[in-house]
Amino acid sequence: MELSRFGLKLFVTDPAAMQGKNFVPIFHSWIQKQAVEKHQLIDVHDYSHIYHGPGILLVGHEGNFSTEMGEGLPGLVYFRKQPAGSFEETLRASLKAVLQAAALIEAEPGLEGRIRLRRDEFLFISNDRLLAPNNVESFEVIKPALVKVFGANATLTAVKMATRDRLTIRISGVAF
Amino acid sequence: MPTWEEKLADRMDPQLAAEIDKFETEITLRKQGKLDEKVFAETRLRRGCYGQRYDNGHRHDGIRTQELHYNSDLTKGPETLWDAPGMQRIKIPFGGLNPDQMDVLADLAEEYADGVLHVTTRQDIQYHFVHIEDTPTIMRRLAAVGITTREACGNSIRNVTACPLAGVCNTETFDVIPYAKTTAMFMLGHPDAQNFGRKFKIAFSGCRQEACALVNMHDLGAIAATRVENGKVRRGFEVYVGGGLGAVPHNAKLFEEFLPEEELLPTTQAISRVFARLGEKKQRDRARLKFLIAKLGIEEFKKLVLEERKTLQPDPRWTEYLEGVQQYADKPLKPPTFLNGQKRPEGFDAWYATNVYRQKQAGYVVASITLPLGDLSSWQMRELAKLARRFSGDSVRTTVEQNIVLRWVSETDLPDLYRELTRIGLSAPGAGTIVDVTACPGTDTCKLGISSSRGLAGELRTRLAAKSFMLDEAVKNLRIKISGCFNSCGQHHIADLGFYGMSINVGNRKVPHFQVVLGGKWQDNAGAYGLPLVRVPSKRIPEVIDRVTDRYVRERTANESFQDFLKRVGKKDLRAMLEDLTQIPPYEVDPSFYSDWGDPREYTIGDMGVGECAGEVISVAQFALAAADGLVFQAQLHLEAGDFPSADQNAYRAMLQAALSLVRAQWPEAPDEADSTIQEFRQRFFETNIWGDRYAGNKFAQYLFIRHASPPSNHSDDHAHRVVEEAQLFVDAVYRGHEILAERGAR
Repeated sequence: MELSRFGLKLFVTDPAAMQGKNFVPIFHSWIQKQAVEKHQLIDVHDYSHIYHGPGILLVGHEGNFSTEMGEGLPGLVYFRKQPAGSFEETLRASLKAVLQAAALIEAEPGLEGRIRLRRDEFLFISNDRLLAPNNVESFEVIKPALVKVFGANATLTAVKMATRDRLTIRISGVAF
Repeated sequence: MPTWEEKLADRMDPQLAAEIDKFETEITLRKQGKLDEKVFAETRLRRGCYGQRYDNGHRHDGIRTQELHYNSDLTKGPETLWDAPGMQRIKIPFGGLNPDQMDVLADLAEEYADGVLHVTTRQDIQYHFVHIEDTPTIMRRLAAVGITTREACGNSIRNVTACPLAGVCNTETFDVIPYAKTTAMFMLGHPDAQNFGRKFKIAFSGCRQEACALVNMHDLGAIAATRVENGKVRRGFEVYVGGGLGAVPHNAKLFEEFLPEEELLPTTQAISRVFARLGEKKQRDRARLKFLIAKLGIEEFKKLVLEERKTLQPDPRWTEYLEGVQQYADKPLKPPTFLNGQKRPEGFDAWYATNVYRQKQAGYVVASITLPLGDLSSWQMRELAKLARRFSGDSVRTTVEQNIVLRWVSETDLPDLYRELTRIGLSAPGAGTIVDVTACPGTDTCKLGISSSRGLAGELRTRLAAKSFMLDEAVKNLRIKISGCFNSCGQHHIADLGFYGMSINVGNRKVPHFQVVLGGKWQDNAGAYGLPLVRVPSKRIPEVIDRVTDRYVRERTANESFQDFLKRVGKKDLRAMLEDLTQIPPYEVDPSFYSDWGDPREYTIGDMGVGECAGEVISVAQFALAAADGLVFQAQLHLEAGDFPSADQNAYRAMLQAALSLVRAQWPEAPDEADSTIQEFRQRFFETNIWGDRYAGNKFAQYLFIRHASPPSNHSDDHAHRVVEEAQLFVDAVYRGHEILAERGAR
């Protein structure tokens, strides 16, 4: 399966610290510095007025970053849009990108260290209802690549949702 | 693994499927270099695939202009890079949606855009940040649920709009939906509508006095009408043509007081043919139907249409749908019920007061879902689809106020519906009030945006919502509409308080501004257009709202409308009240004025250098421009007083003065004489294209040339109104001209 549209989400340790509007100037500064490797960063959008929406969105050609408020807890989500080789290679590149973004946020002087993002738990979200719909078969097909990239100790749990929703897998028991 | 094309093959209308296949082939041909970029641009526009800001590969990041690097140099139109994200517009005829369609729209926004659905001022839905190569798949998945993007943009018949209350409205003559729906389908891809010089917009309204369909601002507007003939009630339409907003708004002209229903489609076809044959093709800024009608006069236009009508080959589709229209009706999901002593959740009463409309069918209501800035997330849209299935069935509508309505809600369900809407963050009150601000995309995503209309709208919404409970009833019912530039996609002309974006140089920096346009009339199907009053820095627009509305509350006479109040107070007084707000502190004192709402970057609309010489020229020029500003304002005062010759004369002089300011920037001794100014301006700025607006071209210069060459022989309100509007736009454009000179001087 050559899945290239998917998301990876990291949760914040303290949801109260996630003040969306703070990320508008931060993301703009990332564009100024083109701060994320192998990404053409394009623009910033403030969607903080939308409940359970993308929050503050940093649009890139390869993928988008956002301070998403959905799925129960706020966090940093990265949605890949362009392939970087096979699914496994794209997954690896995406993990690298979201970890780099997390490190940039935590080091952001304006946030004074208030925001910490967990590296022991991730959400994988399939964003392709054709290649990886929300069913057991897709989960089984995706699993091997997730294990390879996140490690053999990773616990993978399909998050139960309506079929219409995207296949979402909780990846826990990892450390990055 | 099957493709979407294979998977959905038997669920798509064959014609739509063939159309999408054709477009996919055109994408392939363009990638192979076998299709010219301009041809491809028009072909994608006709499928609703629009360009988006920064798609030329350049973006100013607040410090410098960055080149955006993509994988290829391929273009999808002039100066439009293939890989740059674009916008996909999706036609929703009369705003009609069912839950299955809502689900698919939500899925697609998530998979191919940014997870947000945007409802437009024409009842469309738009996605942003879409890759061109995903568009055929998007179109197929939409086609499988009966939605098309065909002719959503480009020189074609755009989304046919209609009142969202049609069929349930208490004041309508009859339900216009079967007619709107049939017209949309009949004209979609119609051969007679393929050779327009510009877009063509159609709207249907059930009654004259309400605002819902805004007939007066459409190329073709139809208001339901009946006539008793031989003891039988006959259905028909009061038809208007040639309305339009854009830079200079035109009121639609009455084409026919009563057009029988069977003549609706052939007449639309005949109008299309006349427009295609005689409408302007080269000068895009004069190509809308309104200009053709202004040129020919309504009587001549009507004569040509009626002659054309006689030549049409009869088409059974003209009338075959009429058999079912009298019986056409939505099927309610539940039996009618009435609110009784049920427990009402907290906040319910405020929401009920503004967001619930009692249908003409007793026991049923329409519930408005207020969407901030017209946006909702994929998750919200899916949840809303579930609520529609539970409470209202298939009868969902988008509105021109960028909201969504659920119709046929049985009244006793309202508290439960409200609880559910609260759960998904969509129970904000204030639908159709001053809080419910409308805005175009502006600088967020539009290539033409000058100021941040969405940023300002968001700020105003937040401020007004916070104090909505304290607002006077008269103020609550006012409308605010904001456009990011003069093109009026935010419909600022028909708002009580309208604003359009512009940029002004202050020293060596730029400051985002909005032109304040007061007194437009939303009611009566967009009954009157407002006029510009004064340009104010973006950051001071909230104060404009406060001052104008406070004074309205304080000084209005009993039941005096906002429009009547403005007329009584007069522009001179209103302008004086706002004059101090035009002042801009130096950057060193308050840099916040030099960035736009919601955008921390220092404001720019291009890459501007800094030069002392340019600065000096500009300060001299601004002196002259101030005189031009004064003349435009005088023209507005004359217009207001009904002195049309003086309004015309002052507007003309304002344009001359503004043109002279540019000429004198290069030739300080230039004489203040009309012919000389025109000649010098033409040679130095028009013919050299120095001044041409990047997108509008030299259209503003034409306003001056046309008025200079053809002074009016008869003075009318319409004509004077137009010349005053044109003068305002010309002066605004001259400001930009001085910026260009400054940039050139700096280089």
